Amino acid sequence: MTNEPMQAVREFILGRNPRLGLLSDDLDLIDSRAINSLAFVEFIFLLEELTGEPIDPEDLDLDDFRTLNALEARFFKKEAAR
Amino acid sequence: MAVREVAPVQLDTNRLEQLAESGYYNPYTMFDWPDAIEPDLPWMSENLTTLAGTPMWDELTREQQIALTKYESINFFSLNIHGIRELMSEVVMRIHEPTYANVSEFLHHFIGEENEHMWFFAKFCLKYGGKLYPAQPTLKAGSVDHLSRVAREMIVFARILIFEEIVDYYNAHMATDQSLPHIAREINRVHHVDESRHVAFGRMIFTNLLEQVTERDPEEVPVLAEYLEDYLQYSIATLYNPAAYRDAGIPDPLAVRRRALEHPARAEAHEQVLKRTRKFLSKAGVGREAIK
Repeated sequence: MTNEPMQAVREFILGRNPRLGLLSDDLDLIDSRAINSLAFVEFIFLLEELTGEPIDPEDLDLDDFRTLNALEARFFKKEAAR
Repeated sequence: MAVREVAPVQLDTNRLEQLAESGYYNPYTMFDWPDAIEPDLPWMSENLTTLAGTPMWDELTREQQIALTKYESINFFSLNIHGIRELMSEVVMRIHEPTYANVSEFLHHFIGEENEHMWFFAKFCLKYGGKLYPAQPTLKAGSVDHLSRVAREMIVFARILIFEEIVDYYNAHMATDQSLPHIAREINRVHHVDESRHVAFGRMIFTNLLEQVTERDPEEVPVLAEYLEDYLQYSIATLYNPAAYRDAGIPDPLAVRRRALEHPARAEAHEQVLKRTRKFLSKAGVGREAIK
């Protein structure tokens, strides 16, 4: 259930960063600039479409976006987000 | 890497300053604000909406089409407001730095005029639309911290320039679009006149700072070219606001946004919007062909 949206997340990041090659679950996406400020809005819209829920721009925690593991925990495992 | 200083920016801005002085106007009294926008008139040019040229536009009822022009016009002016706010604050912080002493006079005109633009855009949105759209979510992390100081300076002014050139494409078109309400046409026209000076200045300062980058860190040029291409794409994408689709009564706004951005007719429209800027960037050596 959680694999399909995470695959879309991976494809988004790799699509914008073809030089990455491999994308490990614990790569720091912010420090490595795999997600930068210019890609961020698109990324938020992707997450909203995949989760079917709006994301409040006033309520963003950078650490939720740092790694694939953190993204999965925050956006694709309901019980973990509570 | 050691911090490298930025050489003083020396530009001949006399003519632009004279034009700013001779063309000075009082924005607070110059517009004749009607009580309401005439019903059934589009708020922005229909061929400039983000669904123009796609089947998605044809599938809308006339009511939805007019609503889309209304909410995309509010989005366009809201983007202007937030863009001006963010970029103007960068200029304010530099206005008395030694690097910019020679252009400080023009920067004063720039800040003053941008403040006035922000006022009339907001007045239009709030008076007729009852709202502004909020600024796009931002990532509070430095995406350009790895670049040299002069490259980061160049990016500040490049963002201002690119933003202004894209906006100006829309303003120039709408300034003469007789299908629009008079007040919408006027706002676009006045902004277009002021922006022609800002774009001229923006190109001069961009060229100066890019030359400094090229002299000091030529290996940064392809990196900058990539950043600028990303910024062009980012700027275009901000015009596609799902909240505007939602407000216009268009179902499934995120999917509509994605489909519209991918549509070949829109890709062609984007090329038209960016044509002048791309030509300038390529001539300066930082076009998309310079990306490694």
